[in-house]
Amino acid sequence: MASGWTELPDDNEVLEQVYVKLENIGFRVGRRLAERYAPVGRRLTDTLDVVKFVCKDMWMVLFNRQVDNLKTNHRGIYVLQDNKFKWFLRMSSNHGGAAAARRAQPYTWLPCGIIRGVLDSFGVNAVVSPETLGLPQCTFQIKVVANE
Amino acid sequence: MSLTFYFAIVGTNDSPLYEDRHLNQFIAHAALDLVDDAQFMSNSCYLKTVDRYNEWNVSAYVTPTNVRLMLLHENKAEDSIKGFFTDCHELYLKTLLNPFYEPNAPIQAQAFDTKVHALARKYLL
Repeated sequence: MASGWTELPDDNEVLEQVYVKLENIGFRVGRRLAERYAPVGRRLTDTLDVVKFVCKDMWMVLFNRQVDNLKTNHRGIYVLQDNKFKWFLRMSSNHGGAAAARRAQPYTWLPCGIIRGVLDSFGVNAVVSPETLGLPQCTFQIKVVANE
Repeated sequence: MSLTFYFAIVGTNDSPLYEDRHLNQFIAHAALDLVDDAQFMSNSCYLKTVDRYNEWNVSAYVTPTNVRLMLLHENKAEDSIKGFFTDCHELYLKTLLNPFYEPNAPIQAQAFDTKVHALARKYLL
């Protein structure tokens, strides 16, 4: 799909459909990964514990490294910052910073879905949005939706 | 009619994903609340005996994503039940990794049924 493009399609609708598909695939994968790799010894009760599980164990399984920085406002927003995002390490572009970051965006959608899937299987309802300021750095913002 | 045991897998919205014999379903379902209470007391997955009803004991095992495995039995050794639950959990994981299986849907594969029975013969009989 994305490997067949030389430029991102300008059509926002196509991009939207790709986003929905990738994110949903990521969600399904995330649910299965969570059950498979969830720690059997201790129980993850706190939302912060679940996010830490994503940052350490899930990132280790997926990318063989841990998330560099985790920030939270303790009111439902968590920001995961990966300074050397594995899938961006080999990317370079003739067009420079912002354009390259925009072209790399679709690669962040699958991990967004995976994070959402892992959170969902522990009962945490959230929305995950990616942000790339410059390759190879990538940020994922988790916004927990309180459902009571 | 001798029922030695009854085994069920209960999904996250309290609907049964797999059960062995339907007769004791309501005993298992009634014990779900006790499972919920017990799971916050304990830190491990295996909850031992959660409830007693006449001659039946209800044992439970809760996976990290809140899927409950329930077993009705008449006084079996706890170690063998724990082994049974662990193996059933692995079997459930394999079912879950199948991309055609939707989480929380009933498990209808014949192979799953055969394997559960084989595990039961190994650990419980």
